[in-house]
Amino acid sequence: MTTSILLDRMVAHPSDSHTLARYVDTGGYETLKKALNSMKPEEITAEVKASNIRGRGGASFPTGVKWGFLPPDTRPRYLVVNGDESEPGTFKDRMLLERDPHQLVEGIIISAYALDVHHAFVYIRGEYPKPARRLQRAIDEAYEAGYLGGDILGSGFDLDVTVHLGGGAYICGEETALLSSLEGRRGEPRIKPPFPAVEGLYAKPTIVNNVETISNIPWIVANGGAKYAAIGPETSSGTRVMSLSGHVKNPGDYEVVAGLSWKELIYDIGGGIRDDNKLKAWVPGGASAPWFVPDEHLNTPVTIDDIAKNGSMIGSGAVIVMDETTNVVGAAHRLVRFFSHESCGQCTPCREGTTWLERILARILDGYGRPEDIGLLLDVCDNISPGLAWPPAMTTICPLGPSATAPVVSMMKYFRDEVEAMVSPPPSGGDVAGGDRGGEVQFEAGGTSNV
Amino acid sequence: MISHWSHDSQVKANELLETYPEKRSAVMPLLYIAALEHGHVTEDAMREVAELTGLTAAQVQAVASFYTMYKREPVGKYLVSVCTSISCYLRGADDVLAAIEDEAGILDGETTPDGKISVEHVECSGACGGAPAVSVNWELVEGVEPDKARELIKWLREADPEVVFGDEMQLLFGGQQSFDWGSKETEGAIAPLPAFGPYGTVKEESR
Amino acid sequence: MSDDRPAVTITLDGVDVQVESGQALIEAAQKAGTYIPRFCYHPRLKAAGVCRACLVEVEGPRGTALVPSCTTPVGDGMVVHTKSDTAKKAQEGVLEFLLVNHPLDCPVCDKGGECPLQDQAFAFGAGETRYVEEKRHYEKPIPISDLILMDRERCILCSRCTRFSDEISGDPLIDFKDRGNYVQVITFPDEPFASYFSGNTVQICPVGALTAKPYRFKARPWDIEAVESVSLVDAVHSKISVQTSHNEIIRLYGVDNDATNHGWLSDKDRFVNDHVHSEDRITTPLIKEDGEFREATWAEAISLTAERLGSFDGPKVAGVGGARSTNEDAYSFAKFLRSVVGTPHLDAQLGDGLDPSFAAAVTPRAEINDLESAKTILLWGPDLKEELPVLYLRVRRAVTELGANLVIVHPRRTGLDDVAAHTIRYKPGTGPDVLRKLAAGDGEYAEARSALGFGPVVALVGRTGLAENPDLAEAVAAFSLELPDAKVLPLLRRGNVFGALDMGVAPTLLPGRVSVDDAAGRTALEEHWGSVADGPGLDTGGILEGLAAGDLDALVLNGADPVRDFPLPSTAVAGLDAAQFIVAFEMFMSDSAAYADVILPVAGLGEIEGTATNIEGRIQKINQIIPSAGMSRPVWSIFEDLALALGAEHGAASAGAISEEIAAVAPAYGGIAWDQLSWGAGRDGIVLPGPDGAQPLEHAPSDKGVPATSGHRVLHTARVLYDDGVMVRHSSGIAGLASQGAAHLHPRDASVLAVTEGDEVEIRGDGEVRLPVVIDPSLAEGTVYVPFNLARTAGLGAAAEVRLDAVRGGDA
Repeated sequence: MTTSILLDRMVAHPSDSHTLARYVDTGGYETLKKALNSMKPEEITAEVKASNIRGRGGASFPTGVKWGFLPPDTRPRYLVVNGDESEPGTFKDRMLLERDPHQLVEGIIISAYALDVHHAFVYIRGEYPKPARRLQRAIDEAYEAGYLGGDILGSGFDLDVTVHLGGGAYICGEETALLSSLEGRRGEPRIKPPFPAVEGLYAKPTIVNNVETISNIPWIVANGGAKYAAIGPETSSGTRVMSLSGHVKNPGDYEVVAGLSWKELIYDIGGGIRDDNKLKAWVPGGASAPWFVPDEHLNTPVTIDDIAKNGSMIGSGAVIVMDETTNVVGAAHRLVRFFSHESCGQCTPCREGTTWLERILARILDGYGRPEDIGLLLDVCDNISPGLAWPPAMTTICPLGPSATAPVVSMMKYFRDEVEAMVSPPPSGGDVAGGDRGGEVQFEAGGTSNV
Repeated sequence: MISHWSHDSQVKANELLETYPEKRSAVMPLLYIAALEHGHVTEDAMREVAELTGLTAAQVQAVASFYTMYKREPVGKYLVSVCTSISCYLRGADDVLAAIEDEAGILDGETTPDGKISVEHVECSGACGGAPAVSVNWELVEGVEPDKARELIKWLREADPEVVFGDEMQLLFGGQQSFDWGSKETEGAIAPLPAFGPYGTVKEESR
Repeated sequence: MSDDRPAVTITLDGVDVQVESGQALIEAAQKAGTYIPRFCYHPRLKAAGVCRACLVEVEGPRGTALVPSCTTPVGDGMVVHTKSDTAKKAQEGVLEFLLVNHPLDCPVCDKGGECPLQDQAFAFGAGETRYVEEKRHYEKPIPISDLILMDRERCILCSRCTRFSDEISGDPLIDFKDRGNYVQVITFPDEPFASYFSGNTVQICPVGALTAKPYRFKARPWDIEAVESVSLVDAVHSKISVQTSHNEIIRLYGVDNDATNHGWLSDKDRFVNDHVHSEDRITTPLIKEDGEFREATWAEAISLTAERLGSFDGPKVAGVGGARSTNEDAYSFAKFLRSVVGTPHLDAQLGDGLDPSFAAAVTPRAEINDLESAKTILLWGPDLKEELPVLYLRVRRAVTELGANLVIVHPRRTGLDDVAAHTIRYKPGTGPDVLRKLAAGDGEYAEARSALGFGPVVALVGRTGLAENPDLAEAVAAFSLELPDAKVLPLLRRGNVFGALDMGVAPTLLPGRVSVDDAAGRTALEEHWGSVADGPGLDTGGILEGLAAGDLDALVLNGADPVRDFPLPSTAVAGLDAAQFIVAFEMFMSDSAAYADVILPVAGLGEIEGTATNIEGRIQKINQIIPSAGMSRPVWSIFEDLALALGAEHGAASAGAISEEIAAVAPAYGGIAWDQLSWGAGRDGIVLPGPDGAQPLEHAPSDKGVPATSGHRVLHTARVLYDDGVMVRHSSGIAGLASQGAAHLHPRDASVLAVTEGDEVEIRGDGEVRLPVVIDPSLAEGTVYVPFNLARTAGLGAAAEVRLDAVRGGDA
């Protein structure tokens, strides 16, 4: 809040923060010059490692460690920037791409130099043409200014950057699916190991990093990894752009330092709940994350580790807030429908399981729920994600399947009575509650208070 | 083989084939170009992409059918995509979809008989802070209320813009935004495809 | 698998077992006696890990994790639980997921009774379903090719078929479509799954999603009897399981075999089964009277044949054929002609092959498995995809999976060009020149030449086409053997041609690869046979010309159709026409058999037993499972009767007995015992040792090349997989797959003739044909390619030079 790394320029210069002129005018590409002129690649990777920055795409894997997995002798290597931002609730990379694309481009060049990469790709979801255009124009400007292409700034370092548009598939945000897609295949995740750092794009060593992660690189290299590491708690260093959506008064992207409480995030930054309704639950880290509820979590800190300790994840930093009017079965159905729709279909438990969950939830919403559906839902979840714990065990290839279980398990954990009310036979021939599949008909929670 | 593609598309296709270390990587970009040339991703479009990339048509179909944005059926001049994922759902997206269906006189997944408008619901558009969100030919409008959504459909019918600009629609029909959009975007969409220079699907503002 | 991998110890369900390191857990467990369920895993395909049926628990530093055992390599100290509560629940959960959308049409499903899904549901499934939603629905089986049907409701999306077509056969005409719950396996509209290998996908489909038209609803698995044998469709001798129901061969399956086919078959191997039961099959001896055939008894036919053959001077009789059946049959043929009739004129090849001594005894001779360790593969010979398709698969694997560099020299594009590192295309007739330049590394061939400098080299050498001078192959082999660590695999195509050559069905060879000029060998043979006609004899070309010229009088056609197969059909027709007496051993009324005076019906696939020798010199067992049709008999027993009728006696009462005699008589076959081939390691066959020392090869091919006179073009003609031969024609599954044939022209030749694709040209060579034009830029200018022996191309023959004229309108 007081510390801003990524958003200063766009806040100060709303009219032209995306242009080369403004970027250079505000100190842009100075770090690149410094890196190319006076730093060895290994000095840069050392700074990144020292920063303790963890990936902002969802898995929170330490970036420096990931970079360290590259086998020393295999060439070519590739850098792929993951801009396939598709996790429901997340819209931060979109902003970084539209509003400050040069920051990303500079991060890419510095990272590529550090990693001895000469062709980098930015995979942007197909539904983001405007961010892609803004980035492409920034890249074009950078080529023209000599920041990209051959012999960059006389350093002898060459780099090409290609923007690749997706075609509409959430799963391509998973790094191995992204690589399959970038190779011109179906976006199907691959079995790991081998990890991309060893066998990635075209079976060559490949680093896949999120847009926000790479956007931080210029600051880290300019100011030193230690300074970055000193911001916020040790294992959640630096700042993070969090996307607030749902029933908050002030949805939007906010750059925060980890360690604040959920209460501060939702009520102070997000302005509280619309119509001053009661907070019912929130998703702390994108649609895949198990839900939090006020009673248990409102005063817990927003850090990677604290969220994990409480059985969820910070993920892509997307906070989806649900107020007391929310029909939890409707919300869970909407989330599960998403995962069923986005399942690549290659592995059995995800393909069959997510669709089965969606059908059961839809049937309950349609008024045809059966008491045994509660056990069935949980057991289907268990067959996708054995033990129903988080981080999830998986019978699947990738975490998409287990992600679909998160809303179901959360719903059962915190609002089971509401579900039970929907699947019970009506007392005396009356109407079944919540007769519609969609959210139009608000379902009144049956007699429980959660706040 | 691709002689009936426009010169511009052929040039762009060749550039894309050169851009990637392996030709196969150009499949997805080429599918967009093919969709622009053929109106949608027709069988011929897939065959030509197969020819260009050295794949079988079955392999191209495998790719094209995996992704939701490669429309293998005819699609209207304006593809109206209503986000109905969780954040938009929580903010009334289903009502927006219903309003659009009603105004356009078609259901989710259909195209108006005059070929003008197609309506679809889509999964998360990445506009959760500006929910509910609608896009027209993938140009985004945020904070769309049901009434404004109706107006949007009417406007598409009446103004019949050749190029669709997000800022213009946002000004006319939008509301709450995910973030300050900053300055105006100069390029817009000329087809129900993502408007992106290297694919030739874009036009510069001439307002 | 290799023995050089170190052993590691894993704890499998509480028991320590030693397993080979590096292999997949699912394999290691199976070898240790623990079967883990699987659907997508197939040992010959890259593990995909998609069905998730093989999940097991493996203990790790952070607790136990469920892992797919097909993609997890074993490591020392690994602790594995395949039957823990968690593993069982995961496995059963996957099974339930697979069943929720699977239709309950098992009673009418071909797979019912041999279906892994059905078996596992029976063994582990819950008694009733918890799935009350609507199942996925698709149109019931749709044809995806002339041979294959796809039932998408039954498909469990294991990707075995798509991986096979992509990885193994290299023709990915089937692939996934759509996503998530809607994923299906399908072809592209109007582009059928027209692969030469499509039947393999049916065999490896773990459910009844892919079915083969020829087998549909033919039998229930529990009625099937089966025997292992080898396919005599080509000289690779792929291992097959001959499966019968009520004495009918209802299907052929590939049997996994490290040495040859890895379990795969070509569709021709697989779908020839029903020619055995064809209505057109000759099952009674036939005698020609007044130009018409009439049925006869065996006694009558044998006595007539013996009497007629005995009426000529021995050396006036000749024999052609012997490559379609067993070694025992070929041996009886050779012995009968050389010893009983007393003629040296016999040939198993039809002018379309190689020098017999070279083909039978080139050394060092490669085994197919040498491809696995080859650094470089030189292919100068036929288009393997068309002529030796399973060898095509093995070469393709060596290149795409194992990293060998492939150099192809051929007159036009071949099925392997896509994976080749270097392709050299040349005008037929200029081969010797190309070879000289390649050997010298001249100019355009420099890169290919330097690629050949990396051994081990396996050289696959044969004739690229029937119009090509056969000497060239020998020169290519001579060059190849100078390459580092090189071995040569001579490429001949016809069923058991290598066995027939080894049995002495060649003008220059006695049984056991002994030259007719080898005095000691001849003497040794005489001890067994009594007498041996003086050689060398005439080859098929010489025999046909001799008959036409009246130098020869009679011909024994042993499963040969020179009218269709000899490169110069006019010579064949003239020879057969002039012969005073012809006896044909046949299953069908071939064009050549029609010239016969007596036709003796012979037993075929599944009806005979014996041994056969493949392209590598590997001897394998052929087994009988059904009685022979009608009055047809094994070839050897007919020669036995003929010998007896001529006052000689072979004295063999069975194929097994002949096999023993071969082992005693034919030096190269010494010590090969019949029983060895049925059990243990011998089931993969035994490769006969090559001759000691290097075999002298002719280095410089004679330039019997082709003069390029004006108005003429050079002909390239070669066989394609489905031709108009009797076996394909009478196999209902594949009979319709043979194309009609066309003239393939270089674009500039087409423009000189002012023709375009689809126009007609008249070609005059040995014969005359009219063919539609296909433009083929891969040909050298001045070359016309015509597939050999198709409905429209038969009769053209393989004269090296042809005359081409456009057929103008109104003529069609």
